This record gives sequence, structure tokens and C-alpha cells, in this order.
Amino acid sequence: MKILVPVKQAALVEDDFELRDDGRDVDPDFVDLQLNEWDDYSLEAALQLKEANDGIEVVAVTVGDDDTEDALRTCLAKGADRAIRIWDDVIADADPLVIARVLAAVAQREAPDLVLAGTQSSDLGFSATGVAMAAFMGWPHAAVVVALDYAPGAATAIVERELEGGLRERLEVDCPAVLTIQLGINTPRYASLRGIKQARSIPIEELSPDELGLEDQDIGEQARGSRVREMYLPDKGQAEMIEGTPAEQAARIAAIVKEVMGG
Amino acid sequence: MINPTHDSADVTRELFQDFSAVGIVLFYILGFIALGIFAWGCYLQIRKYRQGVADGSWADLLRRFRDLCLTMLTHRTLRRRDAAAGRAHAAIFFGFVLLFIGTSLIFIDYDILGPLGLSFWHGEFYLLFQLTLDLAGLALIIGLVYMMVRRGWIKPPKLDYRRPDREPGEPDADRSAYRIEDWAFLWALIIIGVTGFLLNGSRKLWLIEDPLVWDYRWWTPVGTSIAYALSGLGLSSEGAGVLRTATWWFHGVLALAFVAAIPFTKVKHIFTAGGSLMLRDPLAAQRLPKLPEEGEDAGYGRITDFSRKHLLHLDACTKCGRCHEACPANASGLPLSPRDLVLTLREFAHDNLEGKPKHADELIVHGDGVHQIRAETLWACRTCMACVEICPVAIEHVPIIVQMRRWLVEQGEMDPMLQGTLQKIQKRGNSFGEAKRKRGKWADELDFPVKDARKEPVDFLWFVGDYASFDPRNQSVTRDFARILHHAEVDFGILYDAEQNAGNDVRRVGEEGLYEMLAEGNVATLEDVEFERLVTTDPHSLNTIRNEYPQFGGQYLIYHYTSLLKQLIEEGRLHFQRTLNYRVTYHDPCHLGRFNRGFDAPRYVMQALGLDLVEMDRSGENSFCCGAGGGRIWMADPPGKEKPSENRMHEAARIEGLEVFVVACPKDLTMFEDALKTSGYEGQFVVRELNELVAEALALDGQATEAA
Repeated sequence: MKILVPVKQAALVEDDFELRDDGRDVDPDFVDLQLNEWDDYSLEAALQLKEANDGIEVVAVTVGDDDTEDALRTCLAKGADRAIRIWDDVIADADPLVIARVLAAVAQREAPDLVLAGTQSSDLGFSATGVAMAAFMGWPHAAVVVALDYAPGAATAIVERELEGGLRERLEVDCPAVLTIQLGINTPRYASLRGIKQARSIPIEELSPDELGLEDQDIGEQARGSRVREMYLPDKGQAEMIEGTPAEQAARIAAIVKEVMGG
Repeated sequence: MINPTHDSADVTRELFQDFSAVGIVLFYILGFIALGIFAWGCYLQIRKYRQGVADGSWADLLRRFRDLCLTMLTHRTLRRRDAAAGRAHAAIFFGFVLLFIGTSLIFIDYDILGPLGLSFWHGEFYLLFQLTLDLAGLALIIGLVYMMVRRGWIKPPKLDYRRPDREPGEPDADRSAYRIEDWAFLWALIIIGVTGFLLNGSRKLWLIEDPLVWDYRWWTPVGTSIAYALSGLGLSSEGAGVLRTATWWFHGVLALAFVAAIPFTKVKHIFTAGGSLMLRDPLAAQRLPKLPEEGEDAGYGRITDFSRKHLLHLDACTKCGRCHEACPANASGLPLSPRDLVLTLREFAHDNLEGKPKHADELIVHGDGVHQIRAETLWACRTCMACVEICPVAIEHVPIIVQMRRWLVEQGEMDPMLQGTLQKIQKRGNSFGEAKRKRGKWADELDFPVKDARKEPVDFLWFVGDYASFDPRNQSVTRDFARILHHAEVDFGILYDAEQNAGNDVRRVGEEGLYEMLAEGNVATLEDVEFERLVTTDPHSLNTIRNEYPQFGGQYLIYHYTSLLKQLIEEGRLHFQRTLNYRVTYHDPCHLGRFNRGFDAPRYVMQALGLDLVEMDRSGENSFCCGAGGGRIWMADPPGKEKPSENRMHEAARIEGLEVFVVACPKDLTMFEDALKTSGYEGQFVVRELNELVAEALALDGQATEAA
């Protein structure tokens, strides 16, 4: 059987950053890239299923340019069997709907038994890609999954979802399905640098949207459901860093309390 | 010496006197059986070691052999921190060696040279031989008696075999078999010794009429005293003859059984400890081995991944407990004792490499099973080298642990906090996850510019390190050192954004791939910079740059800042304005002291400042780790247990009137300032970096005001 794990090379922004000239994103000079935190957990869930059962193939897939290859290398280093990268410049600045459409096309081609995606991305946080992908494929889905019980070949998977107020929902999902995985479902393994280097010898399959049967109108500007207009830092709120010796800090806190409480 | 009426050739001992031919043949048969068992046992052991990976430990054999002889003759490693046990072992060792040489000489004389008419075992040589062996036997017994008293009555805690890495009741928690073996060993040797004297005494009494024996009786004072005692107890000469025959066989068979048992019992340390000492690598913990270029697996996962030398180390351990006592992890109640690690691996190797070949999966040493090593045990280590330093037989616990960690890292198994830090280092070259461009920010507050060594040549290139660059408390110390250099008009510069974590602790975590990247990156950076020598305030960076960068083509002269300060003082370039009269104590950083023998320079500087230095009990080579080493600074210590740093604070607090606890390492400052608060001594004394005291004495601006 096959598990497809869509991953994202997410942006990690430095403390003091600047915005891109067009104001719609952070200047790449102030950004490091790393595998999206949630995808660490979805990949781990797939790898644990693979290790517990014979004959499971784990395929990692990403939609992104050359710079995103590192994310796939990390997946291969951890134990994914194959990696696929899809790119075309027309996808740049795409919204989650477009990404989901591309991923759905990959899923069509790969015909996996299960798709394990991250609940959200650590940089943009739409929480939409996995869910939209399920919608495009007409598959059932479960979001914010914190526990997974699935036997290869089974008609259903039992998952637990995290709800508000600490409530949990145990859900039976018909398979194949898309599950979006929440942090904490497992303890992801570390990808050693040696492992990442060795993964360089595993070829990454590179596909264009064209090869997946996608037209420009499916993925281009007009296919997007939303467009970023601006990114900006809101004015500073009422936070103040109190410095000085513990005694000075205590005096300042006392003064603030007095001021606010009117005592 | 020899009575003129006696022929010198007759003054000897007749072997097998009054034995029947059957008796003699029987003894030879027993002797060959014993030697056969001994040889078989040796074969089993050597076959076991040969299943390890061959390494280059055999280079420079002659010098190693000389070192081994010197170590054995002086007993220098055995006397350390346990002088009484060292003396007792010396008595047993020299007694045993002399008796062994004596027995061998008799064999050579009787079975080889005698038949050729070249016998030498008679006359004056024989008499001196008798005296020597008599005293050797006495030394042996005295040593053994002390060891029995030690085990039976003194009972030092380090000999109790309590395991921190297992709960009582777990299948392999019980070490009582070792205790039985210890006592069996002592009793066997002492019985062999005592029956030897009894044999000598009964023979004397039996041959009382023979002047060739009796006239020379005082050449064996102990044996002859026993003859008198036997006679005093009413034993006749004939009775003594019967006793002699019975004792002869008892003594002889027991001695042969002892020989046969050597390869199968702790007695084998006679060979394994010697072998281990001979293969001693003085930089074992300072300079960890590179991984081979090819090969899928990294480090020690299976017992067959161990080097042959390390397999030998497992058998060299004599369970003396010195490492157990010195280990900061063990002292903090963490599940690691270097002794138990070695003994557990020994049992594992014994179970899996001495019998039929096992399947590769059964050879994995990691896990929760019997005689397997748990990951928590390996992660408890601070690679402080206290165990390697004190081990009397040169076992390399730290390299073994790091090799085993390498395998865990390759499997992706590690503390999530540590994972986060390593990923930060991968991305940004520093453990704080700060942007590279911020590395030199600490220098902005100085009122003079710090040279950018990438742009202009410098005499001293200062390798700053992560903690000194990014940790706010340490940044103030870093600035102090810059001011001191500026004051002394030292030509220095830093690498700014181009410096990366030196990698010392990354390597000791076991992330060798990342270490290689850091070391290669830093070496490449240094290649492009013009400088004469390096200086650092960080002992961790010092260690890896000095001892490990040569593996990556980087040969540098690097100073710890304390050595540079000493030199500046000697050259009269530091103009002290104040004498500091504080009562202080000094914590030797592991990586400066034990690792790089930098004991004197910091003390010289403290003396020059006028400080009243009172040493703690554990200082110099026996310094007690702050708990930060081996990557532990990037992991949380378990709550509810006394941290090594707190343990250290309690030790310092026992010094009456202590004002300042002086450190010379950025990580020490962080660890001990925390521990000062958590152990409740805040207000009683303070923790300060040596640079701060020097800056204070020089009356430089920006000295740490809160502590002055």
C-alpha cells in the first residue's frame, strides 16, 4: 500500500526582518527555509505505519521551486521511499486552492491508500491545503488528527480529533481519505546531516503541472481563490519590557499596577 | 652463604622428592589439561575481540610497551584517589609476578636446561631465590588480607555494585555474581599463598635431618617459622612428610585450576588490563574519531561495530568504581554509571560473541532488554572525561558513549529539545537560532572598534563561540575581555558573521555529519583570514579547534584566554589599578583542565590579582563537571534531582568566608549563576568570570557593577 505525504518548505522569519519591495511578503534575505513543523508529524505518522507493517511505500510530495528540495531530502533522510516535486513559475505566490489542485492531481496519479498532510503550515497557516485536496478528489477527510489507528488495507481508519475545550472526537473515516495531522500525535525523529547527505543519492522525481494534465487556467492567477494584498506589522500594543535589577523591576511593576488599578 | 663442606650444586630443592612415577605423570597430565583449558579460553576471548572492527591502535608499539611497563612498575594509575588500595594491589601484583617468575625459572631449569646439563637453580642463586619468593608470598598475602578487609569491613560505596541504570528487580539488575567472583578470587589466591607456605614449612620439618635443607632454613623465614609452629604443635617429622604430600597436591592442583580459570574469570584482567594500558590513547576523549567516508551505519549500533580495542576495554574493567565515584551523572541520580555501562556491554559481548554466531539483529546493543544499553543512559553523559581521566586501566568510556550516540542520532532518536537546537545550528550555524549577522553585535557597545579579521590581518584571531557571542550575561564578559585586550594593546580581530559554532559539543552529542559541516566551514573561513594565532574564552571551542580541527586540515596555534592573560602579565602589559582581596575558589572547566591540562594559567592570573584562592576538594584534574558538557546544556535536566552544578555549589559553600566562585568558561557562568540561585546561596557569595575580575583590577569601564 501507499501513503502520500504532502509537505511544505516553510519560511522561518528572523527577528528583525524587512518586507519585500511589493509589500506582499517578507524579504527572502531575512528568511530561512525549513520543513513545515506539522509535516514533521504527518511524515512521522506515515513512517511509523510503514515500520509497523510490511509493504508500505511512503511518498513525499511538495509543490515548490529548487529551494524546496531540502524539505524532500529531509523526508528521504528520515525514511520516505520516494519524493516528488512539482513546479512551474506560474504557481509562484499561489494560494492553498491552487496548491491543493496540484496535489490532488499528484494523488490521482499515485493512487495512494491514505494521504497524511499537516494540519497547517507554520508560516501562512491557512489550514486549507489538505482539506481542499480532499474536496477536489471527492475523498473523505478528517482535520486536526491527534491519534490514528489504521491497518493497511482496512476499509476505515479510526482517528481522534482535538476539539475545543479539551474535548476529543473519535471518528471512523472511510478510506482512502485525507487526514491532516496535528502536532503532538507522535515524537518526530531527527534527520541527521549524514542522512540528509546520503539522501542526495536518491533521485527526486520532478514533474510539471503539464505532465499532471493541469492547464494554466487550473493553476494560474485566475484559478486562485484569494490574493495577498499586503503584509505589515500592526502598531505596537501596550507591552513594555521592564529592565533593570529585580528590585527596580518590582518597583516598576508596582507603579504600573497602581496606575492601572487606580490605587 | 654456603657451608664449605657442602657442594654448591647440592644446595637446591629436589623436585618431586619421593614421588612415584605415577604421581609425576599424573601431575604433568593435570598440568597439560590446565594449560589446554587456559589456551582454549584465550582463544575464545581473542576470537571475541576479533569480531570487532580493526583500528590503528597498534601503532608505535615500542613506546606503548615502555609506557605500560612504567605504569605497572610505578602503579601510578592505581594509587590515584585510593592510595591504600593502590599499595595493597602493588603488594599482590609484585608478589604474584615474582612467584610467577620463580615458578617459570624452576620450569626452565628442571624441564629445559637441566636435561642439557645447564642447571642454575642451586647454590647462592638458589638461596637468594628462596628469600625473594618467601617475601613475595608474604607480600601477596598481606595485600590480599587488606583487600578482604576492604571488601568485608571498610565497604567503600564505590564497590557496592548498585546500578543507577536499572531498578531493583529487573532481570539484569543483580550484580551479586560479581561479588561472589570477587570473593572467590581473593580466597583462591590467599589459599594458594597460605598452602605454599604450609608446604614449605612441612617440607622443612620433614627434612629436618637433611643439613642441605635445614642448615639453610632461614633463607625462607616465613616457611621456616611455619615449620617451627608445626613442630610446636607436636607434629613429627614423619607426620610432616604426610602433610607435605597432601599439601603439595592441594596447592599444585589449586594453582593449576587457577591458571585454567584465568581467561574465564576476572583474573583475566592480568592480560586485558595490561593490553588496554598498552593501547592507551592520551587524547581519547579530546580527539574523537572521524567516521569512515563510506558505510551506511554510523557509530556503534551492534556489538560488532565496536573497535577491537574497545571490546578489549570491556574486559579490562576491574570494577574498581573510580569512574562510578567521579561521574557527575551518577552523582545526580541519573541512570548512568560509566562502570555499569562497561560491565553491561561486557556481559552483552560475552553472551553474543563467545558462542555460536548470532543473527545481526541480535547484536544490537541498544534497547531495554537484558544487557542492552538504554538511550537515557547514553544521553545522561556530559562527556566531562572524569571517568577516562581516573580509569586505572585506560578504558575510553567517553568515546564509546559518543560512538553509541552517533548510532542513536542516525536512527533519529533524541530529546526533542536537542533536535530543535541541532536544527538551529544546521540552519544558522549557532545554537541560539539567532541570525548570523547578529554574531558580532556584542561589540557595538564598546567605545573602540573591533577589527574585522576578514578584512585586515590580525595577530590574534579571537574565536568567540556561541555563548560568549549571544548569551546576554556572557556578552558583558566578552566585552570585558575585549577591553582587556585593547588595554594591553593586543592586535586582535573577530570573524563576525563568518564564525560558526565550533562544533565541540555537536560532535559529543553524536551528530557527526553536522560537526563535519561546522568544522569544514570554520576551517575554510580561517584559510582565508590572515592571523598568527587564535585565542578563545570558550574551552569547548579551544578543545575542538586544537585537537580535532587537524583532522580537517586545520592546524592552528590556539590559546585559552587565561594563557594569554598570563603571558600579558608576565610581559608587564596589564597595569593593575587595584588589588582584589576577595576570598575565592576556582572551578576548573572540564575542557580547559582535564582535556587540555590548563590548570596553572588561571591560578597564576588569580594570584597576580591578589585573590585569596581556596581550592575545593575536587579541583584540577578531579574537577566536578558543571553538567553542561556533551550537549547537555541543550537538554533539560530532570526535575527533583540535584543537578551537578548544585552539587558543586554546596561544595563551594563549605569554604568559610567565600566571596567569589570564579569560572573561566561561558557555559560555567550560565550553569553556576543558575545553580547559585536554585541551591539557595544567593547573597552568600557570587559567581564571576575571571575576565570580570581582571577588568575590575584594571579599573576598566563596564565592569559588572552588581558584583563589585
